[in-house]
Amino acid sequence: MTRGSGYLRPWIWIGYGILFLVAIPWYWPEGDERILFGFPLWVIVSVGVSFLISCYTAWLFLSGWPDREEEE
Amino acid sequence: MIGLAERSYLAEAIPFGPGGLVFIACYLLSLIGIGWIARRASREKSLKDFYLGGKGIGFLVLWLTLFATQYSGNTIIGFTGKSAKIGFAWITAVQFMIAIVISYQLFAPKLHRLAKEHEFITPTDYLQHRFGNRALNLLATAIMVGALGNFFLAQLTAMGRAVEGLTAIDPDRAFAIGVISLAAIMLIYEWLGGFRAVAWTDVIQGTVLALGFATLLVLIFQQFGTPAETTAKLLEHSPEKATPPKGLLLRQWINFILLFGFAGALYPQAIQRIYAAESPRALRRGLAAMSFMPLCATLVAILVGVAVAAHLPEQLVGAKTDTALTVMLRQVSEQSWFGNALVVLIFAAILGAIMSTGDSALLSISSMLTRDVYQPLFAPRATQAQLTRFGKGLSVVLVASVTWLTIYLNSLEGEITLVQLLGMKFDMLIQLAPAFMIGIHWKGMKTIPTLVGMAVGLALSLSFFWVAADGSGWMSAWKRSGFNPGLCGLLVNLAISIGGSFLTGRTGSRSRPS
Repeated sequence: MTRGSGYLRPWIWIGYGILFLVAIPWYWPEGDERILFGFPLWVIVSVGVSFLISCYTAWLFLSGWPDREEEE
Repeated sequence: MIGLAERSYLAEAIPFGPGGLVFIACYLLSLIGIGWIARRASREKSLKDFYLGGKGIGFLVLWLTLFATQYSGNTIIGFTGKSAKIGFAWITAVQFMIAIVISYQLFAPKLHRLAKEHEFITPTDYLQHRFGNRALNLLATAIMVGALGNFFLAQLTAMGRAVEGLTAIDPDRAFAIGVISLAAIMLIYEWLGGFRAVAWTDVIQGTVLALGFATLLVLIFQQFGTPAETTAKLLEHSPEKATPPKGLLLRQWINFILLFGFAGALYPQAIQRIYAAESPRALRRGLAAMSFMPLCATLVAILVGVAVAAHLPEQLVGAKTDTALTVMLRQVSEQSWFGNALVVLIFAAILGAIMSTGDSALLSISSMLTRDVYQPLFAPRATQAQLTRFGKGLSVVLVASVTWLTIYLNSLEGEITLVQLLGMKFDMLIQLAPAFMIGIHWKGMKTIPTLVGMAVGLALSLSFFWVAADGSGWMSAWKRSGFNPGLCGLLVNLAISIGGSFLTGRTGSRSRPS
């Protein structure tokens, strides 16, 4: 398999990198108590982006499954 | 599937009435019935038929068997307890469960195709095909059997704990009765129908599990009111559980995504489900559906734990945080007969989750010991029927010995060292990642560097066990950092397997037929 085919295409993993960078709550100020929809704001953002990661993953499975030629 | 707090403390749980007990009994007997139907569906006496269900399984069964296998009783009990302890920071569990599904992109498509072409049965079959080295095969088998052995032990322990809470008799006796009877039911349906029985019972167990999570979701709001009330209470008495994680908690968050994301995808029973998918279409649809399960299941468990921590903090002191789910269920059960019925359903979901994870682990261990150890070393000329008979007999021996060990360990005050070592199952499993995730694509990856990398990575990871976290030196510092030893071992493993493959040149790479 070449480096740029199937699920090894760089843009796929750059996409995951960006999504996880937002999903992991490293950038929130300490003791942040802002609320949205009854939950802490950072929880809403983290879970919301987790949902996006799920959608992205499902989309990749359904549309990007490599065929034999791509693998070889 | 993540073994964080296997002791469920359901011992303090809920007494069931006769109706509830009859429901549970019917549920358990239906599993044996499915095993019998699966036996009738069996077409031949071969390892492939017994361990992979012949030609394979379609989307729906694949999805539910992946769900029931990956989400154990601990997903409900342990995750609820953990989120009661650390609060919303356990949202990391949602992300590491998604990360496991993401990892399949690195190897599942090609592995599935190779498995169909070369009739793989165990994960080691792939390694034999790719590297053709007996030492590598045996090391990988030892890692997988060790990790799964601990996992199986944990599921049997969870069975005992679950039953403890149902009776008024001596807890130790109830524990033993629970372990023996539930392990026996599991063994019977597995003996009867092999993988088919396991996958088909997973359909029932996965459905009941999904119903259990849906019920829990409704109960959270019914018992504790709106999320705003929960968050307000949490901010009032335990603000650290509602504010963004910092320092160690944050590093652990990243650690869990990396460790479980890679290692969780390499569980042998999960790899065998990749083999068992009847077509690429069934597999990609199954995995796509699995991408959303952490939001439907793990997130619910976290919300329960956080709600209990917010509203009933006085009942969760010290080690008792693991009882978060029990605390809520007891409260629901005492309110009305309908509440009691819901709790029976959730209990059935927990039992189903434990058994569906345990049976997959058992079948996987049995297949690897039969196919990867017994056949090549002791019975190279055995027929398929003889091997299948051996595998079934082995399952009986495994269940009997692990059942005895479970009951024995329950009678001890502390855990024995070997069991604690096997508790590092993710640190062990992750050492397989280079061989599966890189070796499957990169033909230049060499056998000897891969073997040495795996062995050194494993040895280094396990050596952390004897290092004190409060000591001096880099190993103690790593231990304190929040990152698991397995990730340190993986870095060394990668350096040796990739660096060694480059250094030894391009000749000698292997890709042999099985």
